[in-house]
Amino acid sequence: MILDIKKLETGYGKLRVLRGVDLSVGRESVGLFGPNGAGKTTLINAIMGMVRPWAGSIEFEGAPIGGRPTHLVARAGIALVPQERELFPGMSVADNLELGAAYVPRGRDIIEKQLDTVLSLFPILKERYRQLVGTMSGGQQRMVAIGRALMANPILLILDEPSLGLQPSIVAEVFDRLSVLKKDVAILVTEQNVRESLRAIDRGYVIENGRVLLEDTAEGLAKNPHVVSAYLGL
Amino acid sequence: MKIRGAYIAAAVAAAIMIAFPAFLGAYPLNVARSVMTYMALAVSWDMLLRSGQISFGIAGLFGLGSYASILAVLRGGMDPLLSIAFAALVAGLVAFALGFAILRLRAMYFSITTLALMEIFRIIMHNLHDFSGGPEGVVLPEVIFGGDASALYWLCLGGLAVTIGASWYFERSKLRLALTAIRNDETSARSNGIDIFKYLLVAFVVTSTLQGMMGAIQVQSYGFTTPDTAFDANFTLLPLAMALLGGIHSTIGPMAGAVLLGIASEWLKLKIPYGHLVVYGVIIIIVILFMPNGLFGLARKAIRKAGGAGSPGSASNGSDAEEGAR
Repeated sequence: MILDIKKLETGYGKLRVLRGVDLSVGRESVGLFGPNGAGKTTLINAIMGMVRPWAGSIEFEGAPIGGRPTHLVARAGIALVPQERELFPGMSVADNLELGAAYVPRGRDIIEKQLDTVLSLFPILKERYRQLVGTMSGGQQRMVAIGRALMANPILLILDEPSLGLQPSIVAEVFDRLSVLKKDVAILVTEQNVRESLRAIDRGYVIENGRVLLEDTAEGLAKNPHVVSAYLGL
Repeated sequence: MKIRGAYIAAAVAAAIMIAFPAFLGAYPLNVARSVMTYMALAVSWDMLLRSGQISFGIAGLFGLGSYASILAVLRGGMDPLLSIAFAALVAGLVAFALGFAILRLRAMYFSITTLALMEIFRIIMHNLHDFSGGPEGVVLPEVIFGGDASALYWLCLGGLAVTIGASWYFERSKLRLALTAIRNDETSARSNGIDIFKYLLVAFVVTSTLQGMMGAIQVQSYGFTTPDTAFDANFTLLPLAMALLGGIHSTIGPMAGAVLLGIASEWLKLKIPYGHLVVYGVIIIIVILFMPNGLFGLARKAIRKAGGAGSPGSASNGSDAEEGAR
């Protein structure tokens, strides 16, 4: 397993958010679904070292990473596309992409290969290469955010609600790209837009009230009565 | 071609500055030294500002460098020139030690703490009568280079060149991306593998070293210091006003601001003694309200408009567009 989480408990102050979460990601694309406040972003924060685990373990490629500083988690090979894009608006697309690779120990040849990958995956970024990110549309900014994360040549790519705030046609485009990406990189994606994301994942978890309620393949989840009624609106 | 032109312009400017003593008298050289000192302080202040940290501690580190240099010569018998390097090292080491505590702070908490440093250093020097000379300060038996105006000018120019070189390196190395990322969003910077504390510490130590060095050059050039002159608040306020006027987050902006405000301040001091401080205050207010990117930002915008080509953000590191882009 690339990422192996066992009985993870954590929260903020006295508020317990995660109550013993078990989750694993292999060389595949995994979805994490649940309503607002279920603990999806907290789980990502715990993986990225932004929140300290209270109990349980987080292992990445067999090594414990729970509580490690975020920059070391990133250098180990986990790249995050945060919920609020969190790009650098005053910097160009080129600078944002360069930044994604600048502080992780990767060779120059790998960086150049990743840049080719990103620009072929999102051709619009090639056209807007020198444009300031703050002047781009929400969808284009999302592409920059994913591109920046890919520049680090990650082993695991985590996307926190990539469809948030995007129009449906752009959402479909983003998930199309993720379907392509999953051949080369392990993906963990949290989403509320379950319908679109089921197209791009191999397996998924449903998390509610800080606990894993369901775990199944994409096909299994699409047929599950709870998922159908609560997340697919059928 | 654009970069080559900039290098040629910089080389010509440097040659002219080196040659100044050949055709300027003692007073203009003295004014030039003052402008260069403030320019170096403005550039060094801006270097840390690129990380988003606003320091009000310039005078503290400048004064610390002054005292480290003059006391090393007086009490330790050190060579005056060597004492400048020693003072820079002392300022850097103090910043390194203090950095572990104060670089955990952000925004106004960091700013206020750096402001307090100035007062703490001043009070220490004020009260160490036997060592620092107390409120009366200390006097060197002889000014460096025998007070030769040209040599003093070149010494100050050397200090400025080191500062500009460091700033240039900050702008062209990985530091630029790291500091810009930290300024924009620390969480995002961290998740891109940036060790925030390390880069802030590097920036704080380097800028403090430069400020200490300029303090040492100043004290060796004048041959005396007191707590009130070494830790004068002007050494904080003027560089700040200069950088804001010229344009922040660049090397050239604070330099341009220093030339304009430095020369204006000499004129204002003669016309309205002490009133020039009011003018600085007005300048800071006007700049913050009406041109947050300073004169250099305005010039860049004008050039971009005149050129009329390309996208709104064709500058790759155009911090002037940053506010608008948010």
